[in-house]
Amino acid sequence: MAELAEMHAAMPTTERGRGILVSADPKTPAIVYCNGRTVFIRRLDNPLEVDVYREHPAPVSVARFSPNGEWVASGDAAGTVRIWARAGPEHTLKYEYRALSGRIDDLDWSPDGQRIVVSGDGKGKSMVRAFLWDTGTNVGSFDGHSKRVLSCTFRPVRPFRVATGGEDFLVNYYEGPPFRFKTSHREHSNFVNCVRFSPDGSKFITTGSDKKGFFYSGQTGEKIGELLSENGHAGSIYAASWSPDGKQILTVSADKTAKIWDMLEDGNAKVSTTFKFSGGSGAEDMQVGCLWLKDYLISISLGGCINYLSCSNPGSPSRVLSGHIKNITAITAAAVGSGFEFFSSSYDGVICRWVYGAGFKAKLETKNPVHVKAMVAMAGNLFTCGLDNKLRMCPLPGETYGDSEMVELKSQPKDLDVALNCPHTAIMTSEAGVLLIQGSAVVSTNNLGFTATASAISPDGSEVIVGSQDGKLYIYSVKGDTLLQEAVVEGHRGPVTTVRYSPNGSMFASGDSNREAFVWDGVSHEVKMKNMVYHTAKITCLAWSPDNLKVATGSVDTNIFVYNLEKPVSAKIMIKGAHLGGVNGVIFKDESTLISAGDDACVRVWKLP
Amino acid sequence: MGVEEACRRAFLELQRKKAHRYIVFKIEEKRKTVVVEKIGEVDESYEDFRASLPDADCRYAVYDYDFVTDDNCQKSKIFFIAWSPDIARIRTKFLYATSKDKFKNELDGVHYEMQATDPTEIAIDIMKERAH
Repeated sequence: MAELAEMHAAMPTTERGRGILVSADPKTPAIVYCNGRTVFIRRLDNPLEVDVYREHPAPVSVARFSPNGEWVASGDAAGTVRIWARAGPEHTLKYEYRALSGRIDDLDWSPDGQRIVVSGDGKGKSMVRAFLWDTGTNVGSFDGHSKRVLSCTFRPVRPFRVATGGEDFLVNYYEGPPFRFKTSHREHSNFVNCVRFSPDGSKFITTGSDKKGFFYSGQTGEKIGELLSENGHAGSIYAASWSPDGKQILTVSADKTAKIWDMLEDGNAKVSTTFKFSGGSGAEDMQVGCLWLKDYLISISLGGCINYLSCSNPGSPSRVLSGHIKNITAITAAAVGSGFEFFSSSYDGVICRWVYGAGFKAKLETKNPVHVKAMVAMAGNLFTCGLDNKLRMCPLPGETYGDSEMVELKSQPKDLDVALNCPHTAIMTSEAGVLLIQGSAVVSTNNLGFTATASAISPDGSEVIVGSQDGKLYIYSVKGDTLLQEAVVEGHRGPVTTVRYSPNGSMFASGDSNREAFVWDGVSHEVKMKNMVYHTAKITCLAWSPDNLKVATGSVDTNIFVYNLEKPVSAKIMIKGAHLGGVNGVIFKDESTLISAGDDACVRVWKLP
Repeated sequence: MGVEEACRRAFLELQRKKAHRYIVFKIEEKRKTVVVEKIGEVDESYEDFRASLPDADCRYAVYDYDFVTDDNCQKSKIFFIAWSPDIARIRTKFLYATSKDKFKNELDGVHYEMQATDPTEIAIDIMKERAH
């Protein structure tokens, strides 16, 4: 069975104009955040160690550990709360409740782990609910909010109190259990984004989009102070996190800074350190989430980076974790220098560069991110073709990816392949037909009379195979700048989605929409391996191992199958559930290492037996 | 649709005397009867059975699956397989589908029934999962 060797996790999903709420593991230095339908528990001291929970049917918005560290409660956009075991890879479900009728925005546990309070979007009354964790019975009624409640917090000591803040600019304070409305405050003049009790329960902070923050007594709910405006934030404050001793607080804001405030005797707080982020004109550096976990000060940018702040150097973070937020659409890999790197590009045009064994290296800078349809890394260059109708070549190792070498294509690309042994020759499938590219110019555009869906070029650049909508594989020889049809190979029962030559050029493999794949002999065009129909949905990608012995196929059904040409088809290796949502790219590093990427914005490296 | 006596006899031998590993049945259209096409010996393997099913034509088959359960007892279950590959002709699939029930009733003592439309659906792991 294949083993997961490395996982390069997705970054937290962020939304412009809103903060995100992340939490921490009480036992280990790990941060908990969500992307799509997955909850990630990621160690801050070793970010390659990630645990995932993928059972929510709707996008997850918030997840929080119980105070004893055994359980995690996570809430999603449909209003469901799932309580599951932290331990074990299966994370068995303990309880599941339909807590709210709309999206859950925040969730907190009582300090004894018996009660849970959730807040979010409900219709009419049910915007905040507190219930017993094991039965789901309500513990009080929470009136007082008329709009979406963005944050809620449970007092971490007895007597129990709950504070909530929402889009109606109100901060409400409830006593209980059973919880009843006690006081309301309208200090904020805009959305209240985050409410948090201090670790000793003596006070709580509320921060809002009006750039202000206020402190209230944890015991009575009365206002006791505010964040002093000198050196204060110049943009909406999205989140706040207390230091473990409760004497300081970390806040993050849309003004692209994070600030640490010292609590003063009179109940106010003043700025002690400001952490600035690169600035620039984009919104990527707006800080939307934060966490103070023991010695770690974490701030999360809108662009999805997790920044480790350093007090000794407020100008730049000591470490930055980055990756993809959206579905990864293409992946490629190559040996670069003395190491091995792989590149992934996502739906939003972000291209990331990863180093095998180490993790994220850099994002390729680009002025106009565009959805990349296909990428190939070969012989020191990275070729990408995107939906802006351009083919770009970027030399490796490089940090930028720009307009230096660019080929204009007249239509939307579908597939790209570069000849392994003469990397100046490439073949590209598009709406208009098949384009033959030599160097940096389109040598010919061939309208072949059928709708081409996939293409491949042999390693020596002399032969091209084009897969079509009707399931046939058309083989052409390359003569100068024209393609001469040599043969037609039939066998697929659906549009061909991917074709690739083996690295030595003696065979080629193809996959179709009808979940079937074949391996053919390159000269006789006879079937070498058939009945590769183990997938249950369209095959999206295919890769050959460097020793020409293995073929891996990935599909929308989230599985990857690796077939060995020296063994029968039934001896295939199955990687079940590789990527939630579907596998979009597979590539081999060597005979026993496979890299895959998919709709869950993660890149995984597998070791094959 | 008639069933030839040889079919019943072969099945009883498989069931009672464990004389065969598998039997492949075919419908002979002209005589409108189900006849025995191939009988597999006890020492033949699962792969031999798979190889005797044609790629693009339908068949009925009976396979005697031997396995060891979790509590370590040797058990044997008889699987009835309706082999109807996607690439077979519609007429053939129709013919085999409508006659299946009547034929299966003749074979008393089948433990599990399976329907397979491509080779992955009669893989040995599927049988292993179903038998207990």
